[in-house]
Amino acid sequence: MRAISLSPEELERYDRQIGPGVLSVDGQERLKNASVLITRVGGMGGPAALNLTMAGVGRVIIAHGGKMISPDLNRQVLGSESVLGKPRAPDFGEYLRTMNRFVEVEVIGHEPDDADAAALAARCDLIISCPPTFEERLRLNRAAVQAGIPFIDAAQWGITGTLIVVKPGETACLKCLYPEPPPFEEFFPVIGAISSATGSLAALEAIKILSGSGKPLWGQMLTYDGYQGNVAKVKLSRRESCACCAGV
Amino acid sequence: MKIQIVYTGRSYQIAERLPSEIDLSDGAKLDDALHAVNQLLSDDEQLPPSCLISVAGSHVGTLASHEDQSLKDGDELVLIAPVAGG
Ligand SMILES: [Zn+2]
Repeated sequence: MRAISLSPEELERYDRQIGPGVLSVDGQERLKNASVLITRVGGMGGPAALNLTMAGVGRVIIAHGGKMISPDLNRQVLGSESVLGKPRAPDFGEYLRTMNRFVEVEVIGHEPDDADAAALAARCDLIISCPPTFEERLRLNRAAVQAGIPFIDAAQWGITGTLIVVKPGETACLKCLYPEPPPFEEFFPVIGAISSATGSLAALEAIKILSGSGKPLWGQMLTYDGYQGNVAKVKLSRRESCACCAGV
Repeated sequence: MKIQIVYTGRSYQIAERLPSEIDLSDGAKLDDALHAVNQLLSDDEQLPPSCLISVAGSHVGTLASHEDQSLKDGDELVLIAPVAGG
C-alpha cells in the first residue's frame, strides 16, 4: 500500500473536504504537492489565495506591489486597517500563514514583469490572474501558455465578475479573445462581495484542476452579472492566428 | 424570428432599459442583429470594439473582429463588454 504523505494533523484539518463529492485523499495530496501563483491579491486574488491556503495547496505564491489605501478596504479581505499606508504583500502573507501552518506562503512585493512571470510559471502548477489591467493579464497568460500550465483569469467591474479557464494547447487563451488589450479604467467601481465571489470561484476551479475532482470550466468564460442576477457560460474559440498560443 | 439578447460584463447597466428580445426578419444574420442592437443604444452606451460576442453559447469573436453567421429563432446573443478590474 502506498504511504500517505499527509500527516494525521493534516488529515484532521482537511476532514470536511475529503470524501464523496469533494476530494479524495489522493486529490488532497495532489493539492499539497502543488504550487500556485496568484497575482494580484486584492479584491479577487485575496479571497482566491485565502481559499487555496485553507484548502491545503502546498505552496501559495502571492504577488502584489504598492501600499494599502483606504478605498482598498471595501474588498481586500487579506488586509485590515492596521495595514493602511504600509506595503500590503508582507502583511497579507503573514495573515495567510496564520490560516494554515501546513502551507508555504511565498510573498513577492511587486507585480511580475515578463521575466518574473516566466520564471514563476516555470516553478508553478497553475496561475490565477487577478490584476487590474489587460497588459498584466496577457503577460501572465503568455507565461502560463509557454510553461504549459493551467491559467485562470478572474476579472470584475461594478457588480459583475468573469472567469476564464485556459488549458494551454487545448483551449482558447486570453490572447485569443483579446489580441490587443482593451482599454481599462484604473479606478473602476466595485462591490467587495462580487470580488470575493469571483475570487472564490477562481480558487474552486484551481482546486478542481489540481486535485483532479469535478469538471473544470476548461475553455469557457463564466460571467456572473450580480446586478441583474444573470449567469452566462460561453464556450471560447481558439484564434488560429493567436500570437500567444498558435502552434502550442 | 426572435433573438434573446444578454448584455453583460462592463455594460450590464444598459440592460435595464433595453428589450431582452429583438424581432428580426427570417433569414437575418448576426450582423443584422448587431445592427438592430446598435440602433437601440445612445452615443454614450456604444459597446466597445473589444466586446465579446457569443451566439447560442459559443464565442464567435469581438464586435471588431468576427465572421457573420446565420441565426435561428430563439438563439441567445450574449454581448460581454470586457472586464479587467482586479
Ligand atoms: Zn491564444
